[in-house]
Amino acid sequence: MQSPSKQMRLSVFQRFYIVAVVAFVLGPFLPLVIQSFAFRWAWPDLLPSTWWLERRTYSPVPLAWDYVLSPYSQVGVATINTLFIGFAATLLCLLICLPAARALARDRFRGKRAFEFLLSMPLIVPEAVIGMALLMIYIRLGLAGSYTGVIIAHLIPTIPYMVRMLTSVYLGLAPDYEEQAAILGAGRVRILLRVTLPMLMPGVVAGALFTFLVSSNVFLLTFFLGQGRIVTLPTLLFSKISGGSLDASAAGIALVASLPGIVLFALSERLVREELFVGGLGR
Amino acid sequence: MTKSRAVAALLAASIGLAGATPVSRAADPAASFRQDFLAGAIAWDKVEARAKGEKELNFYYWGGDDTLNVWIDSVVRPAMAERGVKLNPVRIAATKDAVDLVVTELAAGKAEGEGSVDVIWLNGENFFTLSQQDALWGSFAERLPNSKNFVWDPASPLSSPNLRDFGTETKGREVPWSGEQYVCAVNGQYVQAADAPSTFADLKAYLEDNPGKFTYVKPPHYVGNTFVQEAIYAHNPDGNGAEPFQKSVDELGAEELARLIAPGLDYLKSIEPLLATADGGKPRYPEDTAALDSMFLNAEVYFNCKFGIYAVNSGLITGRYPEAAQEFIFPEKLMIKNKNYLAIPLNSPNPASALVFADYMSSVDAQASKLKTVGYPVGIDPMQLSANDRELVKIAAPSHYGVTSEDLDANAVADTNASLVDIIEATWLEYIERGSDKPIADIVADAVGKSAPE
Amino acid sequence: MRGDRSRLIVILELAPVALVLGGLFGGAVVLAILQSLGFAPWFGINTFPDFSYFARLWSGEAFWISLGFTLYYAVASTVLALVLALILSLALLKSFTGRRFVKFVYKLPLVIPYAVGIALAILMLGNGGMLSRLAAFAGLIDDPSGFPSILKTHYGWGVIAVYVWKQLPFMTLAIAAVLVGIGRRTQEAASLLGAGPLTIFFRVTLPQIAPGVVTAVLICFAFNIGAFEAPFILGGGYPDTLPVIAWRYFNDADYALQLQGMAAVVSIGLLSGCILLAYLWSYRRFERRIGRD
Repeated sequence: MQSPSKQMRLSVFQRFYIVAVVAFVLGPFLPLVIQSFAFRWAWPDLLPSTWWLERRTYSPVPLAWDYVLSPYSQVGVATINTLFIGFAATLLCLLICLPAARALARDRFRGKRAFEFLLSMPLIVPEAVIGMALLMIYIRLGLAGSYTGVIIAHLIPTIPYMVRMLTSVYLGLAPDYEEQAAILGAGRVRILLRVTLPMLMPGVVAGALFTFLVSSNVFLLTFFLGQGRIVTLPTLLFSKISGGSLDASAAGIALVASLPGIVLFALSERLVREELFVGGLGR
Repeated sequence: MTKSRAVAALLAASIGLAGATPVSRAADPAASFRQDFLAGAIAWDKVEARAKGEKELNFYYWGGDDTLNVWIDSVVRPAMAERGVKLNPVRIAATKDAVDLVVTELAAGKAEGEGSVDVIWLNGENFFTLSQQDALWGSFAERLPNSKNFVWDPASPLSSPNLRDFGTETKGREVPWSGEQYVCAVNGQYVQAADAPSTFADLKAYLEDNPGKFTYVKPPHYVGNTFVQEAIYAHNPDGNGAEPFQKSVDELGAEELARLIAPGLDYLKSIEPLLATADGGKPRYPEDTAALDSMFLNAEVYFNCKFGIYAVNSGLITGRYPEAAQEFIFPEKLMIKNKNYLAIPLNSPNPASALVFADYMSSVDAQASKLKTVGYPVGIDPMQLSANDRELVKIAAPSHYGVTSEDLDANAVADTNASLVDIIEATWLEYIERGSDKPIADIVADAVGKSAPE
Repeated sequence: MRGDRSRLIVILELAPVALVLGGLFGGAVVLAILQSLGFAPWFGINTFPDFSYFARLWSGEAFWISLGFTLYYAVASTVLALVLALILSLALLKSFTGRRFVKFVYKLPLVIPYAVGIALAILMLGNGGMLSRLAAFAGLIDDPSGFPSILKTHYGWGVIAVYVWKQLPFMTLAIAAVLVGIGRRTQEAASLLGAGPLTIFFRVTLPQIAPGVVTAVLICFAFNIGAFEAPFILGGGYPDTLPVIAWRYFNDADYALQLQGMAAVVSIGLLSGCILLAYLWSYRRFERRIGRD
């Protein structure tokens, strides 16, 4: 029989395993960083034979980070697009999901199960199906290649998460406070702003962060429906590496593309309890 | 109304929208501008004035070359701004995407003036597709002021790449932008340029001694298609190289085409086990030139064949090529040379801007600057230029490594008729990639049947 | 108050989400099905209902090989990620120095786009990649071709590596949070009662984390079956996975082939639908057997 205290410590295997996982996750970023500073880095060199900085001054064209950070690489536009589309989709998603989550948490109505089923469908139906079929609808509606179109499309993969997270917060929130506020004579808007929203805040923040993360990761829908006119970090990187090779500027773009997620994630670690994220995943 | 019925209604509404009748017919001003310009009834200054009033010019081009991207943004964009045109360069992964977009939009009822593509950089089967679909704006090239920089007289042999694009008559519906030639490079660290193979038979002999050190870009990428075409020229059973492949598929017929291409394809099949990472089995064909470049840099292969008269120079400047990279002549007398073009689609929303853009791109300044910065050979014909301008172009040319431009010219050969390109490509895919055991004649017959217009 | 709220308000509250999901998502799904059955008047094609697109697709031997590859990549990576996630989440329950750091790091791939994961795979696993260079450094190989091909083969190591890299944190998160939630007490109790670690895992822990696992597996599997980037860039080429096939049909100028592409896309939907239903059904049976619900 094991003593509980012994169980609390990592076994040798587990210790090894955790190191392996960290290496698996972080390890590849080391060559990625090196590649982004390389001018010529051929097999079998473990470090570049020529670094970008050695060539920088007399190269007729911007190389590596000079290219990535110049307007020519479109990294700036892509970053702004990714952030803008992410924010807009998050806001929109929040606006339409709040009332739905409220209804799902508070009301019993006919077809609720069917509605919940519909809600989970976008997680299950492959993105390829939606993207390719939506394109035809979009061309008809004149939404293809427009920001509006892409933002709306980003709602499809994000709604399921957002509704789930908000519903689970609503479920944990007793309606009494709102009722009391109403008895005390507060107006609907006041109740919403002063009572409901503050209490919902943790869920709203979690849902918003998660939605933003999902949106900033979406590739296929943006690629199809943006028609190449709307460049985001994932589509920019995809075009660079679609042939299966990676040069210095592609490595730089990959690093930039990782940034929004990492920054937001670091923020969320401070702002949001893990359980709230999981609220969106469970059930 | 219950929930489910509401959803059903919404579904119906969205499909109703999707299936609605095409949008209104061509906006009249767009159509009349086109007709008047093509009829020569609009003076160039009127075109320039009109361009200033138009919206952003959408230039769709293959965006896989960083250096070209830099040049477009830093040279062309300001030049267009000077002319009152706001350039919106749209980088695409494959030129076909832009062609598909035009055709899709036309099919969806977006007629003249209502599309979203103003200019496309293309050639070969992409132009052929637009031409077949009647999706081109019209014969504008000879009405541009800078058309004087091109040889249009059919009597001169120099006119041929201006008048015919992979055998399709251009009829001035596209204007030449760059000339290119299929040139191979060798990694001098492992193989001396003098020892590099110069014929397909040499290549095979080399690979038998050094298996795995060669591969080519996978068709349907045009760089791969071109390699296949050269192999087919070299193994033409009649021994007359490119000549029969100038004819269209209708003139040749499926049976004759199959007879002509079979030896070349058999050759390609025979070297398959000797190509990169094949190890006697299926080789790796890189998907694009960037992937081939990285295999070349890492010495996974010692050779790199692609369109690019100055590819070695560019590769050395950007660090994509190994330091010892050199050009060499392969295959002798069969190095495909052609031009690529700028075309305006029928439903271009900003046709006047598109014309101003095409005219600027045909100028000596733009061409010399492109040659110098990007290393893309000029599309204009230097013999049409003044002595001064000709010198300007000459100075702008990047260096060669191992061969001279005379060597390259002496080994140049014409490309393949566009109507054959897709069929040869389909045959390669079926016979080589899918390893079909059907006879080539049947595969070609199938492909011809599929490509025939209904 | 709960009963008072009129139906109208409920409908209004649900309407925006229903509009987006029903209108765009539902519309797209219905349109995909219609097109795959020959309804495309905008291309001048309308032979609805026409099963020939499916017939042509399904009659080719290559389609079934593709289907096999699609399934193989999806199943292998989901199972691998699940097993690795289980081990990781059990380890994360314990306290150790650097636990905060590890808990932060393992979640990183969750927030990084797939394309970055693919870029990392290219850099690490290619014949000219880091592992190959390390092998050369160690004197194991003297030419890049000596390194075993990992990318661009039908074994799909590269595709699976990217999926696992990206989905390991997702699954771990779903499992670990439940594990923390249920606490160690039940396990400790079981252990005090003399159960071995394996018994504890299968009898006590697994049933408790099952719902989270089921959802995570569902989402990852559905994604893997429909994902396009990784098999397109890292896959072995012909015969490709179904989403890549659909993509190629879609990129063909021949519009009849777009309908063929729709048939391929709908086949993916059917495939993932069938498998997920079967999976859910067996999970329900499992739940009923252990006496829940």
